[in-house]
Amino acid sequence: MTPILEVKHLTMRFGGLLAVDDVSFSVNEGEIRGLIGPNGAGKSTTFKMIAGFLSPTSGDVLFRSNNITNQRPSRIASAGVVRTFQETTLFQELSVFENVLIGTHKQAHTNIISAVLGLDRQMQNEAIEATTEVLEFMGLAERKNQLAAELPLGLQRALAVAISLAAKPSLLLMDEPFAGMNPEETRHMMELTERVRESGISIVLVEHNMKAVMGLCDRLVVLNFGTVLDDGTPDQVRHNPNVIQAYLGGG
Amino acid sequence: MELLIQTVVNGLIQSGFYALAAIGLVLVFGVMRVVNFAHGELVMIGAYTIWFVHAQNGVPYLITVVLAILLVTALGLLMERFLFRPMTGDPLGGLICSIGMLFILQVIATYVGGEGPSKQVPPPFEGTLVLMDSVRIPYQRLFSITVAVFALGILWYFLTRTKFGWAVRAVSMDREAAALQGISTIRVSMIAIGVGAAMAGLAGALMAPLTNINPHMGHNVIIAAFIVTIVGGVGSLPGAVIASVLYALFHTFVTTYFSGTIATISGLVIMVLVLIVRPTGIMGHRVSE
Amino acid sequence: MNNFIPAKFRPVLFLLLLYAGLIVLPHFLKYHQQDFLIFLTINILVVVSYRLVTLTGEWSLIHAVMMGVGAYTSALISKNFDISFWITLPLAGVMAGLVALLLSYPLFRMTQFYFLIGSFAAGEAIRLSWIQFIKPFGGTGGTSAIPSPELMNIDFLEPIPYFYLVLIVVSICVYLLYRIENSRIGLTLHAVHWKGVLAESVGVNTWNYRTLAFVIGSLFVGIAGALKVHYIGTVAPKQFDIGFMVFILIWVIVGGYRTFYGAIIGAVVLSVLDEILRGVEQLRPAIYGATLIFFILYLPGGLESLPQKIKQKFRANRESAT
Repeated sequence: MTPILEVKHLTMRFGGLLAVDDVSFSVNEGEIRGLIGPNGAGKSTTFKMIAGFLSPTSGDVLFRSNNITNQRPSRIASAGVVRTFQETTLFQELSVFENVLIGTHKQAHTNIISAVLGLDRQMQNEAIEATTEVLEFMGLAERKNQLAAELPLGLQRALAVAISLAAKPSLLLMDEPFAGMNPEETRHMMELTERVRESGISIVLVEHNMKAVMGLCDRLVVLNFGTVLDDGTPDQVRHNPNVIQAYLGGG
Repeated sequence: MELLIQTVVNGLIQSGFYALAAIGLVLVFGVMRVVNFAHGELVMIGAYTIWFVHAQNGVPYLITVVLAILLVTALGLLMERFLFRPMTGDPLGGLICSIGMLFILQVIATYVGGEGPSKQVPPPFEGTLVLMDSVRIPYQRLFSITVAVFALGILWYFLTRTKFGWAVRAVSMDREAAALQGISTIRVSMIAIGVGAAMAGLAGALMAPLTNINPHMGHNVIIAAFIVTIVGGVGSLPGAVIASVLYALFHTFVTTYFSGTIATISGLVIMVLVLIVRPTGIMGHRVSE
Repeated sequence: MNNFIPAKFRPVLFLLLLYAGLIVLPHFLKYHQQDFLIFLTINILVVVSYRLVTLTGEWSLIHAVMMGVGAYTSALISKNFDISFWITLPLAGVMAGLVALLLSYPLFRMTQFYFLIGSFAAGEAIRLSWIQFIKPFGGTGGTSAIPSPELMNIDFLEPIPYFYLVLIVVSICVYLLYRIENSRIGLTLHAVHWKGVLAESVGVNTWNYRTLAFVIGSLFVGIAGALKVHYIGTVAPKQFDIGFMVFILIWVIVGGYRTFYGAIIGAVVLSVLDEILRGVEQLRPAIYGATLIFFILYLPGGLESLPQKIKQKFRANRESAT
C-alpha cells in the first residue's frame, strides 16, 4: 500500500542558513506519525512546507502520489491535507459554531448567484449538520454559542482541531497541540486525538510533550539540525543513543 | 540644449522642496507607523504664514520663515499629543484622524486668506542669475535650494551624530526593542513629528514666493511626498532624499516636454509598480504566518 | 414594545412604513430638497457597496474613483453612441467591476498601509487621466449634456420620477448586497478578515475572496455613479476626488462598520447634518473633520453602538444606586 504522504529530500535554505536539509519520511494510512526534535531542529519549517505555508528550496511533498509542493495552502487543504496552528489561532470574534462552520468551506462554498438567490440552501443546511456533528464529536456542542475568545485554553485547542476536522481532512497536521496544557487537559487532548485517528484520519503530530508523543504515535521522525536523526517506533527511538545525546547534550 | 540644462536646473531646485516635504512623512511613518495625510497641509500652513505675516503685514521675510517653522512645529506637536498618541497601535485610526485634521487646517486657511483666487507672494530676493547666457536661475530659487540643502545637512547631522538622532533611528527600526532599551517612544515620537513638521513649515515658507498659495495646495505636496516615500523605500531617509532628486528631475522633464498631469500620472504608476515589485506583508499568492 | 404584532412581522412592517414614507416624502419637499433626497439615496448605495469591500479588512481609497468609472462609462456610451440608459446602467457596473478585477492583481499584492496608499495612487492616476485625456473624457470640466433615461412618457428630468427610479435601483442593489453579506460568502469574507491564514488552512483562497469583495463592491458603486451623473447631466473628475472618498470614509466610520446598517445610518445622519450646515458653507469641512476625529477617538463603534452604550451606562448607574 502506498503511503498517504511522502516527503522526499525536502530542503529549505534561509539566506545562508540551512534550516532543513534533505529530509525524507513517509506517513502510512491511518497512522499517527510524530515529528520531534530539539528547538531549532527544523520541525516547524518542515511542517509549514508540507502545508504549503512555505516554499521549499528543493524537494517534493507527495499526497496520495500527487505532487502538492508549491501549491497554495487552500488548494492543499482542499485536497485533504489540513493543518492546525500552534498558538490559539481562531476566529476570536466569532462564535464557536461559526468558527467550525467556516471550516466546512470545502463542502459548502458557493458562488455569488446561488448565494443571492438562495439556491445553495440545501448545501448550507448540510454544512450546518456537519458542523453540529463535529461539535458533538469534539465535546463542544454545549458551548456552540459562546465566542471563541471566551473559551478556556484546553477547549480553544479542541476548537482549533474541530475547525480542521470540519474541513474533512484525510491527513491532519497538528502543530504542538499540547503546548502549555496541564496534565488534565493533556489527557483530554490525547483522547480526542486518538478518536480522530479512529475516525479514519491519518495524523502528523509535531510536539514537544514527550508523554503525549510516546503515548500516541505509531512511528516517530526525529530531526536534529535540519536532518533526520532517527526514524522508528517510539521504543526504538527512545533507546537510540544519538537521540538521547541530541536531547541531553547538543539541544 | 539650453532647455535641457534649464530643465535639469529647475528639477534640482524642485527636488529640495520634495525632499523637505517627504522627510516629515517618512520620519512620522517610521517612528509612529502613521501615514499623516495632513502633512501636505502643514506645508500649506507654512506658505500661508509667509503670505499673511510677510506679504500682508510687512514683517521681514527671513523672520517670517523662522516664524512659519515655529508655528508649524507647534501644530505638529499638537497633532502628536491629541491625535496620534491616543491612537498608538491603531494605524488606521491615526490615518483617519489626520484626514480630519486636513479638513480643519484647510478651513483655517480659508478663513485667514478668504475665498477667491490663489495668493501670490512677491519674491523677497529679486533678480536672476544668468549662466552661460541663457540658463536663468532667479535668486529666490537659489536661496530656496541653498537653505533646503543646508537644512537637510543639519538633519543628517542630527540623525547620525546625536543621541536623539540615534534614538529616532532605533525606534524606526524596532519600536519594541527600542522601548526595552529604555528609549522613551513618546519623546522620540515628539522629536520625529517636531522635526518633520519643522521641515514641512520650512518647505512651505520657501515655496511661498514661487507658487500659487491656496488651501488645497497640500494635495499635490502629499502626492509627491507619497511617491518619493514609497519609491525611496518606506522608512528610509537617504532613500527619500535620493528619490526626491530623481522624481523631481523626472517630473520637471515630463512637465516641460509633455504636461504636468502626465508627469504626475507617470509618477503614480511608477509608485504602484514599486509597491508591486517590493510589497510588504503577504507576498503574491504565498501566505505566510 | 408592541405586543400586538408578532416579532417576525416587525421588520416587514417597518419596511412597509419606510417605503410608504419615502414614496410620499418628495411631494412635500422643495426643489433643492428633492435633489438632496436623490443624492442621499445614491450615497446609501455608495456606502453599502464600500462596506462589502471593507468586510475583508482592507480599507481602500479607490471607491470614489470606481464610482467615477461607472459614471464615465454610462455617460460617454449613452451620449456618444446614443445607447439607452437602461443598457448603459448595467454596463457602468460591469466596467467598474472589470477595472477592479484588473487592479486587484497589483493591489492585492499589498496589505494594510501599502494597500491603502497603493489604492489611493491607482485611483488618483485614473482620475488624472480623465483630466489629461480631453478626448474622450472632457478634461477638468468634464462632459455635459448626458442624456437622461427614457421610459414611456415619464420625464426623468423632473426630480420626483428620477427619485422613484433611484429608489427602485438602489433598493434592489442594497438588497442584493445584504443577501451577499448574510450568505456563506459573507461568513467567508469575515473569516478572511479576522484570520486569513486560518481561513486559508481550511481551503479558503483568501486572494480570490478579497478580489470578489473588491469587484462586487466596485460593480455596485459603478451603478451608483451612473445614477448620479444621469441626473446631474454632467460628469467631471472633481465629483470623484479624494474629498468625496473621505466623505465615504466618514459616513462609514461615524455610522459604524460592525453591522450592515451602520454605514446607512452614518450616511443619512451626516447628510441631513450637511443640509442643516448649508448656511455655514465655509465651515463645513472643518465640522466634518472634527466629527471624524471625535468619533474615532471617543466613539469608535460609531452611531450604531450608541443605544447599547447608553443602555450599559444606564444599567451601571442603576446598579451602583442599589
